Amino acid sequence: MDNNFFGSHNGLHKLFNRLVMVRFKTILLPTIFSVLLSLEMAAQGPPIFTDTPIMLGVQGRGVRTFGNIISKENANIYSQILVVPYNITSKWQVDAVVPYVSISPEGASSSSGLGDLKLFTKYQLYQKDGKGTTLRSLIKLTETFPTGNSSKMPALGSGAYQTTLSLVNGYVTTKYGIYGEVGYTISGNGLRDNFIYNIAVGFPLLPQKYPPNQLNLFLELNGNYVFDNVGNNLYLSPGIQYIAGRKLLFESGLQIPMADAAPNNQQANYILRIGTRILIF
Amino acid sequence: MKKLLILLFIGLGAMTLNAQTENKPLEGKVTIEVDGLACPFCAYGLEKNLKQIEGVESIDINIDEGSVLLGIAEGKQISENVVLKKIKAAGFTPGTIKRGSDG
Repeated sequence: MDNNFFGSHNGLHKLFNRLVMVRFKTILLPTIFSVLLSLEMAAQGPPIFTDTPIMLGVQGRGVRTFGNIISKENANIYSQILVVPYNITSKWQVDAVVPYVSISPEGASSSSGLGDLKLFTKYQLYQKDGKGTTLRSLIKLTETFPTGNSSKMPALGSGAYQTTLSLVNGYVTTKYGIYGEVGYTISGNGLRDNFIYNIAVGFPLLPQKYPPNQLNLFLELNGNYVFDNVGNNLYLSPGIQYIAGRKLLFESGLQIPMADAAPNNQQANYILRIGTRILIF
Repeated sequence: MKKLLILLFIGLGAMTLNAQTENKPLEGKVTIEVDGLACPFCAYGLEKNLKQIEGVESIDINIDEGSVLLGIAEGKQISENVVLKKIKAAGFTPGTIKRGSDG
């Protein structure tokens, strides 16, 4: 009964998604930009989709979990990610990323379970601190393991080992933060290599103090170019974040596709992320 | 050889004196400038590291000023070097130390 109901309204649902996105791009985004520019800006938190070179507080040491709701033209995907960091020193960190994935394709049975496990390490290469400012740069090496089942349909994992080498930079002041990340992924098992590029700016909305009570706005561009003529994926990602005291952070961001290299009937409508970071260590 | 020994002795004495002036014990209220203190949520590690120093009674982190006001328990003294090492270990760059209640 439910399947029939959703099936008969599928066209309407797609139309609604498109209308929401058009409204978002034409009305909401310019409004967000205007609000950001008119604010008396005072510090920000770690970006929601882009990595940060700052490995301090909840920004680096916090255990992070978030849910991604991915609406695609031919499927709905939910993934719950757990990121566990461990700082060996203030300049060297290792992390484990454990994903749980649930995929519900249109007109086919859904599947869920463990996705591809990732391990990464970050090492700080450069740090220049000033009064109320810091400029930091680090190198990040990520290894993706094909732990997600790739033999069943829909596949929960890529079925391939992937190695990514990235450079993460950030300049943070008490008034704003700018973050950038570029990386190259080498993929095995016939998957294409890709070039990752992310940039983020963050602005605080509340006066800064310690212990923190912060509300931050972010605007990010998150992209990856897939080689061998596959194409470019690019998302515009506004987000909001609340830091409640020393050890707790809540955040949410929406990724709107600006370019999608997927075939026409498999493209993304949007990705919604809702998450938290808790300082345990 | 005698001259060399005298020079060596003077050199060692100067080094010891220098080390002593750089590592004066801290007491009472002390304000320390901390560079890189650009975000409140980054400061937890700084607070945690400074709390580990025996004799530290209170820690007041001022993000706007980029400084930390340390309150040292009455009758206690702590080493300046220990404080500087803790700030570095927390991932920040220590600056000038001002002694006295008015910072």
